[in-house]
Amino acid sequence: MARLLQSEEDEVIGSKGVIKKVEFVQIIAKALYSLGYKKSGAHLEEESGIPLHSSAVNMFMHQILDGNWGESVATLHSIGLKDESTVKSASFLILEQKFFELLDGGKVMDALKTLRTEIAHLCASSNQLRELSSNLVSFSHDLRAKSRPKLLQELQELLPPTIMVPERRLEQLVEQALTLQRDACVFHNSLDREISLYTDHQCGRDQIPSRTLQILEAHSDEVWFLNFSHNGKYLASSSNDQSAIIWEVGTNGEVSLKHKLSGHHKPVSSVSWSSDDGKLLTCGVEESVRCWDVSSGECLHVYEKSGPGLVSCGWSPDGKSIFSGVNDRSICMWDLDGKEVENWKGQRTLRISDLEITRDGKQIMSIFKETAILLFDREAKSERVIEEDQTITSFSLSRDNRYLLVNLVGPEIHLWNIDGDINLVAKYKGHKRTRFVIKSCFGGSEQAFVASGSEDSQVYIWHRGSEELIGKLSGHSGSVNCVSWNPVNPHMLASASDDGTIRIWGLNSHLQQHKKLQQVHSNGGSMAAAYNGRT
Amino acid sequence: MTSSPSAMDVDPPNYDHVTINDSDVHSIVLSYLVHNCYRETVESFAASTGMNQPADYLDGIEKRKKIFECALEGNALKAIDLTEQLAPDLLESNKDLHFDLLSLHFVELVCSRKCNEALEFAQTKLTPFGKMQKYVEKLEDFMALLAYEEPEKSPMFHLLSLEHRQQVVDSLNQAILAQAKLPSHTPMERLIQQTAVVRQLLNQDHAKDGHPPFALKDFLNG
Repeated sequence: MARLLQSEEDEVIGSKGVIKKVEFVQIIAKALYSLGYKKSGAHLEEESGIPLHSSAVNMFMHQILDGNWGESVATLHSIGLKDESTVKSASFLILEQKFFELLDGGKVMDALKTLRTEIAHLCASSNQLRELSSNLVSFSHDLRAKSRPKLLQELQELLPPTIMVPERRLEQLVEQALTLQRDACVFHNSLDREISLYTDHQCGRDQIPSRTLQILEAHSDEVWFLNFSHNGKYLASSSNDQSAIIWEVGTNGEVSLKHKLSGHHKPVSSVSWSSDDGKLLTCGVEESVRCWDVSSGECLHVYEKSGPGLVSCGWSPDGKSIFSGVNDRSICMWDLDGKEVENWKGQRTLRISDLEITRDGKQIMSIFKETAILLFDREAKSERVIEEDQTITSFSLSRDNRYLLVNLVGPEIHLWNIDGDINLVAKYKGHKRTRFVIKSCFGGSEQAFVASGSEDSQVYIWHRGSEELIGKLSGHSGSVNCVSWNPVNPHMLASASDDGTIRIWGLNSHLQQHKKLQQVHSNGGSMAAAYNGRT
Repeated sequence: MTSSPSAMDVDPPNYDHVTINDSDVHSIVLSYLVHNCYRETVESFAASTGMNQPADYLDGIEKRKKIFECALEGNALKAIDLTEQLAPDLLESNKDLHFDLLSLHFVELVCSRKCNEALEFAQTKLTPFGKMQKYVEKLEDFMALLAYEEPEKSPMFHLLSLEHRQQVVDSLNQAILAQAKLPSHTPMERLIQQTAVVRQLLNQDHAKDGHPPFALKDFLNG
């Protein structure tokens, strides 16, 4: 193998001068060998004059694969390892292999001799020695020695990378770069996992919903709340017109009215989907909670208390119980038949207050003071509190239950980590709020975005990690009260407004498709009517 | 009682109620001597006290004595042979004992540095026991001895000791006697044990009076 001059050894390449040429070539050579291109690897070593391994290491590798144990241990000592314990551990691995190969070959006496004379003093503990010696009397006929290539791999992991280039190092470096690119991409919102190596990954804004695809006009008054179902196939909205509506999301993304749910005598402030999306809860402000069957639109039950009114609703994850905040500041839990199962008194909710329950059913979250949210663990019977410095108007829980998005009067939106220690992670600003309750939500691919309504009639979208405002969607003619991002389709967003409409937002590219579809359907009468959301 | 000159003489008034039969005492002493194979002492004691003992009594002692001597000096295989002669099927029904005796031979080979032989012996004679889980760990203990060039310095050195051999011999003795429908523990042993237990309980009750805990050695030394 050609020897390198000192100057060559220090040579650097790349625009920043931080890549050592020798290491660079060696990693490439290693990658070539890993891919199976032995000839190319050897050729590279020759042409560059940069050997992948020193001659001692090459010899070592051959000795291992050929089973020349004694010689390999000797070579080990001459490779230039500074750490005595590494030499010891590596010697142990090699001699252990010798021991097992002798046993597998039936040479028990030789194995015993190896154990006594060569291995015993290398053992880290008497237990290790005892384990090995127990192999001298075997109860099974399985082979005990691992394959020699596997031994070589284990030795490679043990030896420092300067002696032996680690396997797959080039792949690791490339993966690191790709991960960094993806995390830095503020508009990254694709389900598609393809990232090309040819250019730096940078999504354009075209992956973020930005165009109105549909306007749904079935409510007759301000629309206060909406939420997509877990499976993304339905959307439920609730309004000051005392009704709620279940919409269906068609396979090509068009939203049509499925059921109008009437029965409340007060404005409906919120809805909640059961985990299997088979039932929907609606909450009339300081009135009652109703449970509806999603496929038939039938009202299954009305939950109310004689006296106090209910202010919020939520499902237990197993679908067997319903939670509700009450305007006497308590929270109560009912079974499906309407029997009150549990009641948590004390200051727990305010008038019109959000309620969230974690997926494991253990924690219940509610706004219990103007500036604080209570996280109540009903199993451990313990409580944690998020204290804010401004009045809280609403909050929502992330899908992985580790984060809470809190809307403040500011207007500001705060992102809190609630997994383990509670701490403030990010703040989002820019939207407008003075009088109304505005709600925000997580959304997009891997919930990488935060979206919120705003009193200036726009939908605001921020990149969650970098807090950067990346979109303002205009179209509504009244305050946008609530937004919901389709959990299954990261390119679909819905917004509810005081102008009585719901807008479905999608990608620019989808708009072109949608327009074509509209043309097709307008030739088919009633389909077009349903499409526009009129009943 | 604040102080007692002799521990044994505590409560002398109580002792006066107990009568002791000479022949009982003789039986206790004799049974002890027989149990531990002190043949000559048995003969002379029996003669001095005028007790008669059947001839096969002495024969039994002689045979047991031979077995134990073999085992203690490291000739475990001979000990096994003799045991088989004296009490056939004993080892068959006492697997633990059988294993312990065989392992004595193994240890002997290891001590004489005949490692290859030891390994072979282990593979043929000891491995069959390994089918039962409780012997696997014991087996591993013995195999580990092979790995050391100086087994006396290994963590399992106690397996090489005289105490260990004595323990095995004691178990064997008890097993042989039990099979011959003789007591496996001497009355002497049991009496001393009883005394210790009773004294201990009594002392515990009086502990708050400042009595020290019971110590058999002190008691016997008066």
